[in-house]
Amino acid sequence: MSDNMNKGVDQIAAFQKLWMDSFANMASVWSQFSPGSPPADEMRKMRSGMLKVLAETWDEYLRTPLFMEMMKASLNGALDLKRMARDGMNLVHEQFESPSKEDIDGVLLAIRHVERRLLDRLEGLDDRVANLDQKIDKVDQRIAKQEDATEPQGQTSKTEA
Amino acid sequence: MDKKTGNGVDLEAWQTSFTNETFTNLRRFISTPFLAEKMERVRKGVTPREIVYEEDHLKVYHYIGEGEPRFKTPLCFVFALVNRPYIMDLKEGRSIVANYVKAGFDTYLIDWGTPTRADRFLTTDDYVNGYLLNVVEHLRERNGSDKVNLLGYCMGGTLSTMFTAIHQDLVKNLVLLATGIDFSTRQGLINLWTDPRYFDVDKFVDTMGNVPADFLQSTFLMLKPFANLIEKPINLMENIHRDEFVEDYFYMETWLNDNIPVPGEVYREFAKYLYQQNLLTKNRMPLGRHIVDLRKITCPLLNLMARNDDLVPCSQSEPLNDLVSSTDKEKVIWPAGHIGLAVSGWAQKELWPRAVDWLVQRTD
Repeated sequence: MSDNMNKGVDQIAAFQKLWMDSFANMASVWSQFSPGSPPADEMRKMRSGMLKVLAETWDEYLRTPLFMEMMKASLNGALDLKRMARDGMNLVHEQFESPSKEDIDGVLLAIRHVERRLLDRLEGLDDRVANLDQKIDKVDQRIAKQEDATEPQGQTSKTEA
Repeated sequence: MDKKTGNGVDLEAWQTSFTNETFTNLRRFISTPFLAEKMERVRKGVTPREIVYEEDHLKVYHYIGEGEPRFKTPLCFVFALVNRPYIMDLKEGRSIVANYVKAGFDTYLIDWGTPTRADRFLTTDDYVNGYLLNVVEHLRERNGSDKVNLLGYCMGGTLSTMFTAIHQDLVKNLVLLATGIDFSTRQGLINLWTDPRYFDVDKFVDTMGNVPADFLQSTFLMLKPFANLIEKPINLMENIHRDEFVEDYFYMETWLNDNIPVPGEVYREFAKYLYQQNLLTKNRMPLGRHIVDLRKITCPLLNLMARNDDLVPCSQSEPLNDLVSSTDKEKVIWPAGHIGLAVSGWAQKELWPRAVDWLVQRTD
């Protein structure tokens, strides 16, 4: 439990640092304000500068292990909740003897497996047919060569009556 | 007469600025009630097209040019599974498809469709050696061509690369746009967030099934939270009186918010085999009964990358040129973001004519 608390405190500290850095960087942009230019242009420049430093500061934070731990905890929590809700619904469906999401997924998976087995078999057959084709071609070529070799000997001279 | 005060304030400039700002604000105010009407004018795809092939949810569109195509070898656009593909044909003057159609290519585009729960067990192998192979065979038969040209964008580029490595005899030229190949880089946030220490992809997919479109949309928004959530609406309000800006904005936002779910198993394979284990660059990516070996790619390759890409940094795309066996290969790093590479005005004017010309020289 103390580990979780320490983690929580670290995350709060990191978040606090993020905001402190954000405000400090924004203040540095404001310090560049010059009254020489018209206010509308200066405001746009300030705004653009502020958003730029905020984006950079937050990008840095989004890369920290602490943020990613927080993201992991949040996502896992949401997934656990969804799983609990789904398991609960599955129980209800089971009691009412109606199909649940799990049953439908099971059927889809079974169809998928059958499809996969059929396709694999078809690919195997396709390869075998291709092999047979090659063998037949080779045999045809051999026969053609033999016929070419025997043909000149079998020729008879033609004489006209 | 010097109009500056003792503090160096230029009174004349202040006065002009105030007047200009007042009138601009008036124009903004007058334009606001017409926003809804402008939003309704958004169309998804502008080049005339017909459906020539369908399989399950997949459709292949054939784009109709003004005359007969100049080239026999068809060109097939392969887009990602996470968004709709009409970004390739966004609007007049912002259409990659139109560039190739005008150049005389017989152009096709694959719309993967929207996966349902029944599709949650579809794998990358089903897409590459199933759907994509069937589409390519259909186009070869339809055009009487031995090979096809492939143009892949983002995840579609990764799929096209895998296809070419396995079926090189069917691909004449390969053009890639912001395509992820080497996922070892830690430049992009998604590379960090999918680290196995922080992201249990098996738990995620086993619980969710298909990855919801909302989840993907949130992830993309979080890559640049301030730009997407604060700067963008401010820019819209500032420029609401400029018709061209507003039109471009609505076209882009319509597409950006038009995400679709990704089949669970495809997502699992991409997260595990690519982002976490980086198997593609090691030539060990399993795809059904195949192992993808990038060294088997020998066709001409054009690799287009965006310098300011947060989703697919250049360091993720660039290594491909050194991993393939092609002798005719080129890479272009363009100063744009992930989407700007495709549809920005400057890219349309300077980059795409060059890319089209590259393909014209290598096709028949």
